[in-house]
Amino acid sequence: MDTSLILVGLVNVITLTNISLILGGTLLGLFVGAMPGLSATMALALLLPLTYNMDPASGLSMLAALYVGASYGGSISAILLRTPGTPSAAATVLDGYPLSQQGQAGRALGVSLFASFVGGLMSGLALLTAAPLLGVVVLEFGPVEMFAIAVLGITIIGSLAQGSMITGLLSGALGLLVSTVGMDFLTGTPRMTFGQINLFSGIEFVVALIGLFSIPQALRLIEKSNGAAKIASKITDRLIPSFRELKQLMPNILRSGCIGIIVGVIPGTGGDTASWFAYNEAKRFAKDKSRFGKGDIAGVAAPESANNAVVGGALIPTIALGIPGSSSTAILLGALMVQGILPGPNLLTDYGDVTYTLIWAVIFANVGLLLVGLMFTKACVSVTKVPDAFVACTIITLCIIGSFAINNSIFDVGLMLGFGLFGYWLSKAGVSPAPMVIGLILGPVMENSFHQSMLIGNHSFAVFLDSPIAIVLLSIAVLSVFQATPLFSWIRTLRRQ
Amino acid sequence: MKLLSASVLAVAVATAPIAVHAEYSAGDEITVLQGFKAGGGSDALAQLTQPFLTKLLGVDMVNQYIPGAAGAIAWTRLAKQSKNDGGTVSITNTPMLVTNYIMNDAITYSIDELTPIANVVTDPGIIVVPSDSPFKTVEDLFAAAKKNPGRITVGNSGVGGDDFFSAILVEQAAGVKFQSVPFQGDGPSATAAMGGKIDASFNNLGNVYGFVQSGDLRALAIFTKERVDFLPDVPTLVEKDMNVVAGSSRGYSAPAGIPEKAREELIAAFESLKTNEEFKAIAKERALVLDIVTGDDYLQMMKSMETDYKKIWKEIKSDVAK
Repeated sequence: MDTSLILVGLVNVITLTNISLILGGTLLGLFVGAMPGLSATMALALLLPLTYNMDPASGLSMLAALYVGASYGGSISAILLRTPGTPSAAATVLDGYPLSQQGQAGRALGVSLFASFVGGLMSGLALLTAAPLLGVVVLEFGPVEMFAIAVLGITIIGSLAQGSMITGLLSGALGLLVSTVGMDFLTGTPRMTFGQINLFSGIEFVVALIGLFSIPQALRLIEKSNGAAKIASKITDRLIPSFRELKQLMPNILRSGCIGIIVGVIPGTGGDTASWFAYNEAKRFAKDKSRFGKGDIAGVAAPESANNAVVGGALIPTIALGIPGSSSTAILLGALMVQGILPGPNLLTDYGDVTYTLIWAVIFANVGLLLVGLMFTKACVSVTKVPDAFVACTIITLCIIGSFAINNSIFDVGLMLGFGLFGYWLSKAGVSPAPMVIGLILGPVMENSFHQSMLIGNHSFAVFLDSPIAIVLLSIAVLSVFQATPLFSWIRTLRRQ
Repeated sequence: MKLLSASVLAVAVATAPIAVHAEYSAGDEITVLQGFKAGGGSDALAQLTQPFLTKLLGVDMVNQYIPGAAGAIAWTRLAKQSKNDGGTVSITNTPMLVTNYIMNDAITYSIDELTPIANVVTDPGIIVVPSDSPFKTVEDLFAAAKKNPGRITVGNSGVGGDDFFSAILVEQAAGVKFQSVPFQGDGPSATAAMGGKIDASFNNLGNVYGFVQSGDLRALAIFTKERVDFLPDVPTLVEKDMNVVAGSSRGYSAPAGIPEKAREELIAAFESLKTNEEFKAIAKERALVLDIVTGDDYLQMMKSMETDYKKIWKEIKSDVAK
């Protein structure tokens, strides 16, 4: 059954519409990624509404391509402007910008593109291999196991926050709180709806998401729109890297790709972690470490291969278990929910055709990236110069259209703006919205599966100890909580002494 | 002269499809409010029915999707905010249409504020168990539930949904008590049964037909008056002397007080679908079970649901809200 679904997915992707959507999505991702301040997550949140009326396969293909494109696009402004276009391109700045100052911008971009392609392709293939293996055990995941997964996912919240653990947990708790709005699953009575019928089915996840991710960014862009004009380096040399150079860089690119996949699989860590990790490893393996930071091409290849490899890696837990591996994949999960597909283990069975289409789209998008990248990288130079205020207005317009379109509801537009202002305030207070999104997604999963487990287990907590899968997952969750407490670091220092 | 008659003939032929049928008296456009997202079960009904209605009535039918609150947002708008000139109708899903306001005081519409036009399809309720389940027949299931009251777990598609209520109807008819476990829709409920996480799932034929055919699930009983062609070996509960006929039905309703002429025209259009072979063939192809009930009979169908479910909800309300 699995093989046939894999082929169905392949056939779904290879249509004229979907191939052109993949190419278009990659190009758009390239542009958005190249614009400093616009991350892949935000681009996905903004473009999600465009996919409402597409069939699931086309919509997901486009979003996956956008994600892949943006992962590379971030390196363009990192190399030319010394400003990472996306957070995951921060490590690329270190060696990419010196290279462009030495008149080798083309060489740096070419290697970045090729490394992104190889890293992305590796992760796509890893996804294609891993997903069916996980798919076999899918029926083993009932309410009890889903509860364990949700608990594990919630404990990850702390690590998803940049900066303080406390604010991360606060943001996650807010997400859980918001997720309780709506009809009570067990009794059918409305909760926290204040008699407002528009809130009966809960707060539409995507509405909150668009507000939380996009509006604060638009406001921040407006804030700094009076700043100095951006100066980008010119590309003077050729883009296509030589065969000899690629051969030399290959071990580095492959190693970084593996790092990216593994980091991606771990929920809560994303492209930024992976690219720093890969950069450090590249430096450790290099014969001449002194050239790093002064324009070593290996310092461009490593983070770029890794941050594109994160895409496929992060999709593995997203697809197999319904737990997003990063905030970008959380949005892809939202895209599935918009299409009426609930996150969970049945993504690989009941909705296998859609899921495999997504996997193939990731693979094809990487091939598309190579083509689109070669043709349009030079055009991206002008994109990096678009005034911030203009970008901000476009973002807000898209937010309004997007939040209206999901339910044809003006109420949702107001809700989105409310979340936007709240998100802006949160970001001023140094609280990341990413854990809130995880809370929003996992809250209902955790609540519902808990109730279901208790009903199945005759109201006894022992039901969670009957399932080996649940025991393992819950143990990991307990461990990850302890690992974050002072107790753990105290033990570590004791051992060191 | 010959030329003229030829052109008259041409015009007559060109306009024939419209000329044969009477124009709809309430305008040339009908807005269809849909309480669920595009691509769902309601939309499937619209895609099936509306091409025929467009031809029969000579109107354009415009779908407007207003999802949320299990359809209640669209139905509130139909009952309270739509003009009753015959230009607006909605796809009405029963029993959800009535259980919505029976269960929630904040939902204020009722069927008295609607003009039921016609029910079109009914996806019958069905009991399925995992293929390796010890329950071979529905009697086995009931016997086990009698032996262990409240310990046999049965999944449904959510509190307030048709499967939730049909499980209660079965409990009352068979004199047993199950442990109901709500899921978020028919799919997860069926998956949980397949994985052996629950003992049985109260589901709908359309959702589990494929799994029953493939042998992943076994159907124990179906809630129709007579056995269905799709699954001739599955007994009905009526055969077992239990009067449980239930399912998830979808049809069309207008606001209360639409012009009598428009109502009659709409009902006549749905009546004519009963004998339309092309329509029946397409419905069968899409595995939709036709159950066309029009006008006062459809109103009666809703009324009896309202009475039954009000009574059930009153009895079980305190248990559920524990």
